[in-house]
Amino acid sequence: MSWDFISNLLLASVRMATPLIFLALAELYSQRAGLVHIGLEGLASIGSLVGFLVSLITGNPLLGVLAGAAAGILVNMIYAYATITLCAEQIVYGMAINIFAPALASFIYRVYFGAGSELVQVSLMETLASRMGITANGFIAKLFLDQTPMVYLAYLLVVFTVIYFNRTKSGLNYKAVGEYPKAAATLGIDVIGIKYTASVICGALAGIGGAYLTTCYTTTYVDGNIAGRGFIALAAVIFGRWNAGGVLIACLFFGFCDALQIRLQVGSYNIPYQFFQMIPYIATVVVLAAIGMKKAGPKSCGKPYRKEEL
Amino acid sequence: MKNTKMISLLVPIISVILAFLIGCIIMAALSANPAVALQALWKGAFGSVRNIGTTLSRSTPLIFTGLCACFAYKCGVFNLGGEGQFIMGSVVCTVIATQCGFTGLPAIIICLIAGAVAGGLWAMIPGVLKVYRGQNEMIISIMMNYIATLFMGVLFTNWLRDGSVPQTIAVPDGTRLTRLFGLRATSAFIIAIAVGLIVYYFLFNTSKGFQLRAVGFNMTAAKFNGFAVEKYFLFSFLISGMIAGLGGSAEILGTQFFLINGYAAGYGFDGVSMALIGQLHPIATMLVAIFFAALRVGSTTMQAATGVPTSVSDIIQALVIVFTVAGLALVKLPEFKAFTDRVFAKKKEVA
Amino acid sequence: MEEILRMEHITKRFGDMYANRDISFDVRKGEVHTLLGENGAGKSTLMNVLFGLYQPTEGSIYIHDKKVRIDSPAQAVKQGIGMVHQHFMLVEAMTVLENIILGDRNTKGIFIDKDARRNEIQKLADQYGLEVELDKPITEIAVGAQQRVEILKALYRGAELLVLDEPTAALTDIEVEGLFKVMNKLTAEGKSIIFISHKMREVLHISDRVTILRAGRSICTLNRDETTGEELANLMIGRELAPSHYEKIEQPGEPVIALRNVDYCKASKHNGLNGVSLTVGRGEIVGIAGVDGNGQSQLAQIVTGVLVPEGGELDLKNKKIAVFSPEGFIEERVSHIPEDRNKMGLIGSMSISDNIVLKSTEKPEFSKKKGLLLKKKAIKGYAEEMREKYDIRCVSVEQEARNLSGGNQQKVILARELEGNPDLLVAVHPTRGLDIGATRFVHDSMIAARDRGCGVLLISADFDEILEVSDRIVVMFEGQVMGEYPGKNPPIQEISLAMAGK
Repeated sequence: MSWDFISNLLLASVRMATPLIFLALAELYSQRAGLVHIGLEGLASIGSLVGFLVSLITGNPLLGVLAGAAAGILVNMIYAYATITLCAEQIVYGMAINIFAPALASFIYRVYFGAGSELVQVSLMETLASRMGITANGFIAKLFLDQTPMVYLAYLLVVFTVIYFNRTKSGLNYKAVGEYPKAAATLGIDVIGIKYTASVICGALAGIGGAYLTTCYTTTYVDGNIAGRGFIALAAVIFGRWNAGGVLIACLFFGFCDALQIRLQVGSYNIPYQFFQMIPYIATVVVLAAIGMKKAGPKSCGKPYRKEEL
Repeated sequence: MKNTKMISLLVPIISVILAFLIGCIIMAALSANPAVALQALWKGAFGSVRNIGTTLSRSTPLIFTGLCACFAYKCGVFNLGGEGQFIMGSVVCTVIATQCGFTGLPAIIICLIAGAVAGGLWAMIPGVLKVYRGQNEMIISIMMNYIATLFMGVLFTNWLRDGSVPQTIAVPDGTRLTRLFGLRATSAFIIAIAVGLIVYYFLFNTSKGFQLRAVGFNMTAAKFNGFAVEKYFLFSFLISGMIAGLGGSAEILGTQFFLINGYAAGYGFDGVSMALIGQLHPIATMLVAIFFAALRVGSTTMQAATGVPTSVSDIIQALVIVFTVAGLALVKLPEFKAFTDRVFAKKKEVA
Repeated sequence: MEEILRMEHITKRFGDMYANRDISFDVRKGEVHTLLGENGAGKSTLMNVLFGLYQPTEGSIYIHDKKVRIDSPAQAVKQGIGMVHQHFMLVEAMTVLENIILGDRNTKGIFIDKDARRNEIQKLADQYGLEVELDKPITEIAVGAQQRVEILKALYRGAELLVLDEPTAALTDIEVEGLFKVMNKLTAEGKSIIFISHKMREVLHISDRVTILRAGRSICTLNRDETTGEELANLMIGRELAPSHYEKIEQPGEPVIALRNVDYCKASKHNGLNGVSLTVGRGEIVGIAGVDGNGQSQLAQIVTGVLVPEGGELDLKNKKIAVFSPEGFIEERVSHIPEDRNKMGLIGSMSISDNIVLKSTEKPEFSKKKGLLLKKKAIKGYAEEMREKYDIRCVSVEQEARNLSGGNQQKVILARELEGNPDLLVAVHPTRGLDIGATRFVHDSMIAARDRGCGVLLISADFDEILEVSDRIVVMFEGQVMGEYPGKNPPIQEISLAMAGK
């Protein structure tokens, strides 16, 4: 194996891990407020489509990402209203979002471009290096400079999240809502407010995660482009033991698997490429199976919170 | 008592009406006449005997994946892998039908059974990991969907490829299911209905089905009352996977005949959504499946007549699930109960 | 003395039910004021009104003689009211310190200054003699220490008036003494305390004044010095307290179940068993007395096959058990009234009749061909019969079990567990949360089962209940058996000492 192969693989891992980091952080913020969200796949798909459209129309991928975040928030408000206010089952409603949001995305795409249109492509977000007008040579330069702003944002968010949940008062209150909302309420913490805030954050991050795919990764939108990343992100949160740091490591691992399968496809003609494409999915199953039993995570996850009185 | 039953029937109906209302608004926004569009939709789905046949044919795989989801959730396990199990059933069925060189009824039966077994085994992977490793069956079963889809890809791009076309060779005529009255619907539809009735009978009229439902409602209490919860979990994974797998082989032998890119895409989540709208009742789930199929078949006619894209039907379908699940949660809220009590109390006063 | 709180004519109605009806009382600075009443007398509702969790239907609250409106816990805290709930409001995943500063609005800044807060809180703790280890996670400290954390939480928020809701329920005698010391210190420093209890001895020991609540009404307020335990008890119950009216059995039959040196999670003081030996004979009720969380739950689950012991032996009807499973024990006619009705006993979403036949649908009475076809009519008919026999009050037997009241839910479980003529009945807190009528019904049913020759293992944290029905009393403390006492003329003093581990 050449150094070239390895360095390209590592660079690709960072790129492939980025959407997972956004999605996994979205899940983390949701679960820390006691909301299990299995609808990330759906949120990401709508974020992906809206990000694609806006960056196509405005020619500005950054605006696309912002629009993707807004779309994620909007759709996630449906989830928030149903699970927080109506106390619908979180798993069931997450599933509803997974069915609704991709259908909406696909519909908007069809309406906008008409049936059977040609593949429309957008230009991707520039990397820092190309924006500064330099060419990054060598592994280190590429790793640190030849990345889109979204990659830096993802890592900043991880650092921010670690500090927020471990060092700030507001973060402590937030965690209390996910662990024991009733206790939090007796201390004057606005449980419902935090849950809605969590849903806004979750929707935005999941939307960004989806938009990343159409503004920084591939030049076009296709149905099903999230390809299970929403669920892999869910696994990353479990694997990362609900800590942003652990989640980052998990995402880098899954990103690596994804990069590996792409690299391996190139140059293996005898083995059907689908077997390589299976790698990230098989890795997820194997990792989950290996972690085993331990129940963990915020205690109130999945349980609706109601104020005492009628 | 009767109120709750009526409400659980009313919620999906109101949801459907609301979803259609929004659908009509979308149609109007696309400058089509909603009335004309809806009429075309109806005609396309049920306008002639031939169209009804097509609708029933389209509903067949949906019934299978719907029942798959329904059966698993009744026992409290979230098998989201209906699609993968359906595909694995199709894959094994295709391989056997094309490679073994036998035909006739025995061959058909072998193919169907083999598909069911394949689906069941595929479902046992998340099942076993849930029961023995305490793992989240939702994530695992979704991952198994992707793996199954990719594996199917190996068949139609490589191992069983039909010359230059990226699809598998078709199953021989002698293994295909018979059409009903010359319509597009085949005996696969009859099999689907039969499976639905058996599931219904099992769940509501046998002791084991009763116990399985008890496990689904309250696992801890079921355990304290002497039901080996793990066994029920594994059993429900196995059976729900088998239903999906049987569906896959019936679809191959009935209408599809070969594997191709995009085959069965979305059937798994469709199944979940039908089971949820049907509130985990097998008969209701089947009715919802037929409704979904009608929307899909009818939307083609609608597109031809009015230019409204077929994906409007997907939106309507998605809205039905969004409204139904929210509605079912709403009617469970104490505020809602208090509200209906007030309304009913007033009515009584008037009377 | 200065008045700090006055609640006037408080009425709280839920639908047609009055939880509080025209209750008035006041609290003075530096006093311990006890609210005394039975379960369901309205104590907790009244305190939830005070703490802003409920809004009173009628009546008003005065703090320092000024009328106030308290519509949220945050408001109550602002008014200087601190509450220690019976079920602690502590986040287990956090440390003591984090729990105390949670939701804090007094300090500025975004970040947590742990060192400054630690010093502040340590000072406060020292001032009132509250020993706590600030950096330990909640899960690693004892129940008594958790209670101190709760008190500290309230003080940290500037509470002038502390509400302690049944604070001694989960404590050992030594811990209770410690709590009383803290309470004395608090009142000496000018804080006021509302003490909620139904334990006469404690009430007489610690209170300055006592207000008695009965059936949602305030009966009267008395000075401690001017009353006696008997007077208080009679006022609380509204009738003379009669001694046990059940006849006690002294000669039980052959053993139904025998445990020899059974271990389970030996190291755990609260959730384990350590060398437990115990026998229950036919036709006797053995009562396991002890404060909650001394291994009783584990004992109950081992003798019903839910948990597998890690050491020792268990004989069921003189046969050694090799495989532990609920199925196996049910087959040996062991019945179980589990501690949590809704979680472990009933399938709430299923009907009353389904719950009654839950274990027996495969019997020929209820299905054909070993369960292949349920006889729905027979099941319904049987359920109707049970409804009559066990006096289950419901609209219909097709009604969901979760919508029943606690007492009626327990009767559904009784109907299921007792009808098969069990050889052993394991009843865990069988009357918890039930009213007097339902409690009597449960006790009568247990006695009737005993008289039919069934062995009964009664596990209860309610000492009065143990004394009422047990033929033999076994005391458990920290997973160990502390002693065995006769149920007839039991040595109450000795038993309470044993319950505290002495």
